[in-house]
Amino acid sequence: MSSKGYMGRILRVNLSDGTFHIDPLPSEWIKEYIGGDGFAAHVLYTEVKAGTDPLSENNKLMVSTGPITGTLWPMSGRTVFVSKAPLTGIWGESHVGGFLGPELKYAGYDMLVVEGKSEEPVYILIQDSDLQIISADDLWGSTTDHTTVSIQKKHHDPDIQVAAIGPAGENRVRFASIMINHARAAGRTGMGAVMGSKNLKAIAIRGTGAVEVADHEGFVELAKDAHRRVRENPQAKEMGKWGTWILTAVKQEIGELPTYNHKTGVFSGWEKLSGDFIRPRYTISDRACFGCSLGCKKVNYIPDGPFAGTLEEGPEYEGLMAIGSSLGIADYPTTLKANQICNKFGMDIISAGATIGFAIESFVEGLINENDTSGITLKWDDSKTVIKLLKMIGRREGFGDVLAEGSKRAAEFLGRGTEKFALHVKGMEISGQDGRTHRSIGLGHATGARGADHLRSLVVVDQLGYEEVAAERWGADKLPEIINPYTEKYKATAVFETENAYAIRDTLIVCWYSVSWPPIFWMKDFAEMLPLATGEQYLGKVENLITIAERQITLKRMFNAREGITRADDRLPDRFTKEPMPEGPGKGQVVNLEPMLNDYYRLRGWDLETGLPTKETIKRLSLEWAL
Amino acid sequence: MSTLANQLIIDYSKCTGCRLCELACSAKHEGKFQPSLARLKIVKYDSLGLDIPNVCPPCEEAPCIEVCPVYAMRRDPVSNMVYVVHDKCILCKSCVGACVNGVIRLDTYAMKIIKCNHCDGDPECAKICPTGAITYGPVSSISTVDRHGKVDRYLREVKRVASVEEAGGDV
Ligand code: SF4
Ligand code: SF4
Repeated sequence: MSSKGYMGRILRVNLSDGTFHIDPLPSEWIKEYIGGDGFAAHVLYTEVKAGTDPLSENNKLMVSTGPITGTLWPMSGRTVFVSKAPLTGIWGESHVGGFLGPELKYAGYDMLVVEGKSEEPVYILIQDSDLQIISADDLWGSTTDHTTVSIQKKHHDPDIQVAAIGPAGENRVRFASIMINHARAAGRTGMGAVMGSKNLKAIAIRGTGAVEVADHEGFVELAKDAHRRVRENPQAKEMGKWGTWILTAVKQEIGELPTYNHKTGVFSGWEKLSGDFIRPRYTISDRACFGCSLGCKKVNYIPDGPFAGTLEEGPEYEGLMAIGSSLGIADYPTTLKANQICNKFGMDIISAGATIGFAIESFVEGLINENDTSGITLKWDDSKTVIKLLKMIGRREGFGDVLAEGSKRAAEFLGRGTEKFALHVKGMEISGQDGRTHRSIGLGHATGARGADHLRSLVVVDQLGYEEVAAERWGADKLPEIINPYTEKYKATAVFETENAYAIRDTLIVCWYSVSWPPIFWMKDFAEMLPLATGEQYLGKVENLITIAERQITLKRMFNAREGITRADDRLPDRFTKEPMPEGPGKGQVVNLEPMLNDYYRLRGWDLETGLPTKETIKRLSLEWAL
Repeated sequence: MSTLANQLIIDYSKCTGCRLCELACSAKHEGKFQPSLARLKIVKYDSLGLDIPNVCPPCEEAPCIEVCPVYAMRRDPVSNMVYVVHDKCILCKSCVGACVNGVIRLDTYAMKIIKCNHCDGDPECAKICPTGAITYGPVSSISTVDRHGKVDRYLREVKRVASVEEAGGDV
């Protein structure tokens, strides 16, 4: 193991027999995958067989990092959880900020693989080379924050980093999250339920070692310059002040603020969910994840009203949308309270909000009634009921037990035509974007490996109209269509190239906000940095990084293909393809998915008919072993 | 004390808890990224959303100097900074325990006491800090920020959160 940046070791824990095992990190993986979800994809593909029940002991959970995790590179403290997803039954991954990943590396491991299932509730404690599985009997049933603090107190070390599940994960809520540092969520696809199914309450890590890079001085100098670029980037500055709340106003302006379960993109109450409104009234401190000079996290306190005394971080824009505009609630304190419940119970606020939205619309449209909902009347703009439903979901009480299955399964259970209000792709609920007003995200939602994803291929350059950047990345010949949000033309090109860059982002692993607005980092910046970090010159060429990205995206596709996914599953709910946007700047727009899919498959080297990787593509990406 | 000497000055209300300062410090002094050997420490309270940098300012009355049995901990009369004379140090760790900021450490690998030296007048932590929470300069009445300013804002919340915690972390 000569490459730098890595610790060179993979830690495996088998909960069935209570053993630990350390494997060397295969050196060939570095050029093939770089790290992060690439390493984890290899393990998941080779070790979790097709048809495995995600909630069975045969599923595995990977906690993975990259070569620059724990270094001075901006926003490089992220961690990824990978497993077969309880929400969708396909590829599952969830990235999270906070401080866990660096601690895993300081303890001496690039990745943790959790296997098997414990008989009794336990937590894993990793303190450098001291490895233990400890009873969590006294923690079972408690909230994520209580669990975290209890473990730190018990071992007399407040610097122990904890990834915990709450009651939602224990109850196998299909969109249960894993929580880090009180309020940072590995939210999507139900990773918390995987932990719950293994009787694993928490993973606690403390490391005192070092991460070393190949060229320390060169790397530090480049990293410092990179921090300067973040600090001087105007959008990043704004994001530091307002957090993702800045998006509410942007989305409203372009008519893409999901409202009433994505019925429309315009919300009359948007101002009360905007940064301008929230920050001066409620925000008490700004916080950052590991190694981040932007600091988008906001801690807020509600001084009065029904939720007086709520002290909590967030929610992000996605939470404001999922609980706010999408449920017709123009009230920030409700979204903060909802976020607190989701954090403490450990569940994804996006899927939780979307599933409640599905139920409300089904009720309002008369497809379901009080007999289905434990006697609860559902309507838009009803804070109290939403808060009540969230707790019922976390506890799987009454109607909450139905909603805890996510919108797809809930609709299958309820029937009666409710399916049309279950807005998901492959089982994962649609996030806070709308293909009707931003065509490229329509394609991204339809093709994302984990379902309706806003983090793997969301193009910012087209929507915000960065003409020069678009010309540089995709070719001037594709202007102006490629940055016109209302046309399908060339959108596959934008999605393909962006998804590749984000795939590299997810191997390093760095935060979404270090790639989102030009001119902060893109492929060539990573190509410049990676040889300094790892000593691998191969990683210093953009074309090689593109191959690695393509390999990774195609490998995830092959994982899904093995579970039966084909082109027929790359679809959007009818709301986006058949119901024209009713108002706002995008009035009358719908998504025409098929031509974008054709273009996208061609670029990926996937078969047009089946949507599956062709033999040639598999060969070109050296993935024959996976056949 | 000398009014001209520079100090590390902390504004507790600005720190976001990013720990870049710990990274930059270990990068400079250890040649690697190892916060456990940084010469300063960010104490984090995630439940309260609070981050508190602990540095060697240095103290005006330095307990580490007073406690050292062999006079290995000394103060530079010009810079006013406190430093260890490694030749004299017997690794008794008295200073580690005495430091009110908790930033003197024993490097158990190199077997030596490690302690901030203000990077000889050009502190890395102040240079990397993105928020201005750590600055370096002569102390004046204006730049001295009340250590407890930010903490006070949270005090009314601490009790409530703590009592909820005791009760099992209910919502
Ligand atoms: S002044 Fe230098 S040695 Fe002291 S804490 Fe800051 S970076 Fe470390
Ligand atoms: S670099 Fe500044 S903001 Fe970041 S943790 Fe250190 S003191 Fe706080």
